[in-house]
Amino acid sequence: MGKERGREEQVATVRAVLGEGTPEMDIIRALHLAGDDPTRAINILLDFHHGPPPQRSPSPSPRPPAGKPTKTHTESTLPTKTPAQSKPVAENPRPSLAPTPMLKPTNGSGGEHWWLIGSVEMAGLSTCKGRRLASGDVVTFSFPNSAIVATAGKSRPGRPGLASCSSEIMRFSTPHHGEVGRIPNEWARCLLPLLKEGKVKAEGLCKSAPEVLSIMDTVLLSVSVYINSSMCRGQKQSAPKATRAATEDSTFHPLPALFKLTGLAPFKKATFTPEDLYSRKRPLETMQSSAPAIKLTTEKLRLSSGGNEDDQGEGTVSDSDLDDIIGISDSSALEERDPPDALQCDLRPYQKQALYWMMQLEKGSSCQDAATTLHPCWEAYKLEDKRELVLYLNVFSGDATTEFPSTLQLARGGILADAMGLGKTIMTIALLLADSSKGCITTQHSTQICEEASGLGELPVQPHDAVKKLAIPFSFSKFRKPKAPLIAGGNLIVCPMTLLGQWKAEIEAHTTSGAVSIYVHYGQNRPKEASLISQSDIVLTTYGVVASEFSNESSIENGGLYSIHWFRVVLDEAHTIKSSKSLISLAAVALTADRRWCLTGTPIQNNLEDIYSLFRFLRVEPWRNWALWHKLVQKPYEEGDERGLKLVQSILKPIMLRRNKNSTDKEGRPILILPPANIEVKYCDLSEAEKDFYDALFRRSKVKFDQFVEQGRVLHNYASILELLLRLRQCCDHPFLVLSRGDTQEFADLNKLAKRFLHGGNGAVNGDSSVPSRAYIEEVVQELQKGDGECPICLEAFEDAVLTPCAHRLCRECLLSSWRNATAGLCPVCRKSMSKQDLITAPTDNRFQIDVEKNWIESSKICFLLRELEVLRNSGAKSIIFSQWTAFLDLLQIPLSRQNFSFARLDGTLNLQQREKVIKEFSEDKSILVLLMSLKAGGVGINLTAASNAFVMDPWWNPAVEEQAIMRIHRIGQTKSVSIKRFIVKGTVEERMEAVQARKQRMISGALTDQEVRSARIEELKMLFS
Amino acid sequence: MANSNLPRRIIKETQRLLSEPAPGISASPSEENMRYFNVMILGPAQSPYEGGVFKLELFLPEEYPMAAPKVRFLTKIYHPNIDKLGRICLDILKDKWSPALQIRTVLLSIQALLSAPNPDDPLSDNIAKHWKANEVEAVETAKEWTRLYASGA
Repeated sequence: MGKERGREEQVATVRAVLGEGTPEMDIIRALHLAGDDPTRAINILLDFHHGPPPQRSPSPSPRPPAGKPTKTHTESTLPTKTPAQSKPVAENPRPSLAPTPMLKPTNGSGGEHWWLIGSVEMAGLSTCKGRRLASGDVVTFSFPNSAIVATAGKSRPGRPGLASCSSEIMRFSTPHHGEVGRIPNEWARCLLPLLKEGKVKAEGLCKSAPEVLSIMDTVLLSVSVYINSSMCRGQKQSAPKATRAATEDSTFHPLPALFKLTGLAPFKKATFTPEDLYSRKRPLETMQSSAPAIKLTTEKLRLSSGGNEDDQGEGTVSDSDLDDIIGISDSSALEERDPPDALQCDLRPYQKQALYWMMQLEKGSSCQDAATTLHPCWEAYKLEDKRELVLYLNVFSGDATTEFPSTLQLARGGILADAMGLGKTIMTIALLLADSSKGCITTQHSTQICEEASGLGELPVQPHDAVKKLAIPFSFSKFRKPKAPLIAGGNLIVCPMTLLGQWKAEIEAHTTSGAVSIYVHYGQNRPKEASLISQSDIVLTTYGVVASEFSNESSIENGGLYSIHWFRVVLDEAHTIKSSKSLISLAAVALTADRRWCLTGTPIQNNLEDIYSLFRFLRVEPWRNWALWHKLVQKPYEEGDERGLKLVQSILKPIMLRRNKNSTDKEGRPILILPPANIEVKYCDLSEAEKDFYDALFRRSKVKFDQFVEQGRVLHNYASILELLLRLRQCCDHPFLVLSRGDTQEFADLNKLAKRFLHGGNGAVNGDSSVPSRAYIEEVVQELQKGDGECPICLEAFEDAVLTPCAHRLCRECLLSSWRNATAGLCPVCRKSMSKQDLITAPTDNRFQIDVEKNWIESSKICFLLRELEVLRNSGAKSIIFSQWTAFLDLLQIPLSRQNFSFARLDGTLNLQQREKVIKEFSEDKSILVLLMSLKAGGVGINLTAASNAFVMDPWWNPAVEEQAIMRIHRIGQTKSVSIKRFIVKGTVEERMEAVQARKQRMISGALTDQEVRSARIEELKMLFS
Repeated sequence: MANSNLPRRIIKETQRLLSEPAPGISASPSEENMRYFNVMILGPAQSPYEGGVFKLELFLPEEYPMAAPKVRFLTKIYHPNIDKLGRICLDILKDKWSPALQIRTVLLSIQALLSAPNPDDPLSDNIAKHWKANEVEAVETAKEWTRLYASGA
């Protein structure tokens, strides 16, 4: 009982010191550890205590406010030292305390490499009893080994981060007395990490203390903090990064915190600070609102266009939306700059303006504004040091430097976002020629080079852990291996594979011969020697190559693009890197370059996030910081807070140039006069036979759909419904596309109609066509008739299934895209080789295995098309025929051949050389009047201005994609007026697709997410089946 | 957000891997990056790797399924077709890749490779030599390594 009471008293004693809030269990545990000595128990608890105990504790000596000299205790302190009282104590009374070697006092003088940040008073807390400390005594600082404390930290569960807190204890001791006390937590927190790394040192003197110390007495210290000059000079090298990675996600950086505590105020404040990040109260009145968005001519195109499915299942931002979001630059006031002599063509005034603008942005340091503008996330401090040093501190990363961090130090370059067709390529070529001082890397930037070179894995802002995970396994060696010095290189242009040839051709065509050397870095056998690659003035490569060299483990030894320090890197179609976590995005960021450019007509394709990747590539600060970007821009934007958008616009304003076809020059004239584009919708009617067929198919599909609706399983059968729609849409192109599908058995009552349709052609269905391995196929057919099975490549229900000679079933598109070659390849299932002719359109019933050649008949749409082509034939005008189904392109080849139209074909199965060849042939061969083209092949960048007519055979779900394909024709270089005809079959799903599209653009996208989207989709699907 | 671009095929494969895992194999995608999988393969019975739990990482490149997944052993393993970095010499991961193969089939192949080391097509010369010169001893080493590095602790 007596012991029990004793324990209660002890607990009460401890409580009295530490405050009522201290949990009893903790106190008892501490007492136990301390052998029932309350004093030691208090010490133990204090060591593990996170919160600042002074506030809570009824301390006999309230802490004086920092910076105010307090005399209260000095009076009672006798200057006489009484060593009698002190037992001989070892310098480091606790084994866990490690002395810091660099902390030996040096009489206040900072020394050459130590710069005085400032001297402050701080109130230390005594942790000992009975020792004496005199004013003027030198104190040294020490801190425990975190490992030991971390284990001890377990004694207080339920305190997250305790281990790390407890390692933030910093003690002070004197040579005579050993440990005397500890310094306040907030000081320890920022001093410790810096002390441990030797970045700062602290020298302390006792200013005043009670005559005889007892626990929790205040000991007033005068502390001078010095920063090591190497931290400022060498900060760009990778040494401090390792530690930074650990605190990556936290926004606590010791150095800024230390500055704050020291009372050092910046004489120049950072424009953006972490506080903004959390309060989001950044005033925005300085932000300029964007220029009013100007509607594109293509606007009317969209109004009349139908369909809105994006094959990727994502909404795409259309041009005019884009203009609303990011604004159009008013560049009319820009100066013009004449292109260098080596450029073999005339630039239009707006192109000269772009050249001037680009060169200004590239000038970087010599560009006055940028040079004298403090980088937005750095602050400038005057140190107390006598040498009158100015130190710049990055408030986000905690980095310090003595070099003036100007705005352009990091971002040299920008985004050339002129609308498609204004000639971004030629403007870029002009820039390459105007300033291509290959290998001349200014010393001013050499520090940055180091950073970039060493910073591969350290992508300064790692938005998510995923980035690390993604990057590490496959570029592991890059992080560990010592860097070989980078070889200075010239210009690197990264573009999609389809544009490689065009870039080369344009550079060759527009430069005086011999002015620049070009090298195309592409293909399996591309050389890896950096010295070889770096020799050329201009190196062309693809995103694929960049990504593969980035992920290739041995790329450092092998050289390649990553062992070169590029003078300039240009990303063409830069939206390719839009998803910030993708390998290609990471790969692009990791390229080492002095100047960086993004060329894109669509800086935002789907999401505002797209532009983050561009900023990250361009080194636009502070927006490389994902957390900052997300908090200040992305989230407000998504929540409808317009400040997010305005902020983006203000960031973009200085670094982006975006004109469109409606931009005007100084005199208000349009900068570019393109021949007019006439877009019209051609409504066609189905023939009677076709109509019967379509109606039967429609009824059939509707019954199925209605069943799904009744069962409430629309979304569970989404794929089936899309397939029903697909069939209806294909039927509008040509019934053969439906007949050739595998599951005609399901539509058995269509047999008669189908026959009738075929009879309209040349006679009976030919059922006896020689089908290889018939018996074998029958088995597959059985399965097919049951309606199950899935394509082994896309794992979906078959779409336009074909049978290989080895009787494996795959979607036609899946199979063809798995082939390297357009006409032949291996069976993906059994690796048997075959050619395209060997493929059998999956049959269910022999009667419907149509030999399309023998049974050929034109559909009404094809009739329409042929009529149009016939009109154009004599004029020699070239046409492009777009369809989204290569099977339809196959069909179209039949009538074109029969009508003696010579044609070329461009689809996804062609490789780079083949594409180039096709485009060249079509552009140059006068006899080729028609180009058959699939949407996917025609998406990006290709210049087809040789054609002045486009026929869009079937509506796409996504008008932006359609628009982009058409813009291949209606762009700079087009001399004739352009005619675009879109075919829509009246009274069919095609017509209703347009209505749905008007209602909602994002209809029928791939993955299903939230309930609202679902119900909206069901409504839209119902419209299609109405 | 970035995962919304994930092709349906990858989503399907992932669902199936999780709902019907192959015996002795577990593969789960990383939360941050659905193209990155953490894989565990149990050492097949009657092989020197029996009783071992081998960790691997698997990454689906952008071109997948037209390009093979990248797979690497994270657990140290003594095997003539696996080098010290964990890289695997397996034809279907290289030139014999076919888009009809899947994550599941790849992992099953790797499991089979553990059952049937092939020292004639080595990635690790030393181990392969050892295997050919003294298979009993090599198998013992493999068992020892399994115990040391793959005992699941």
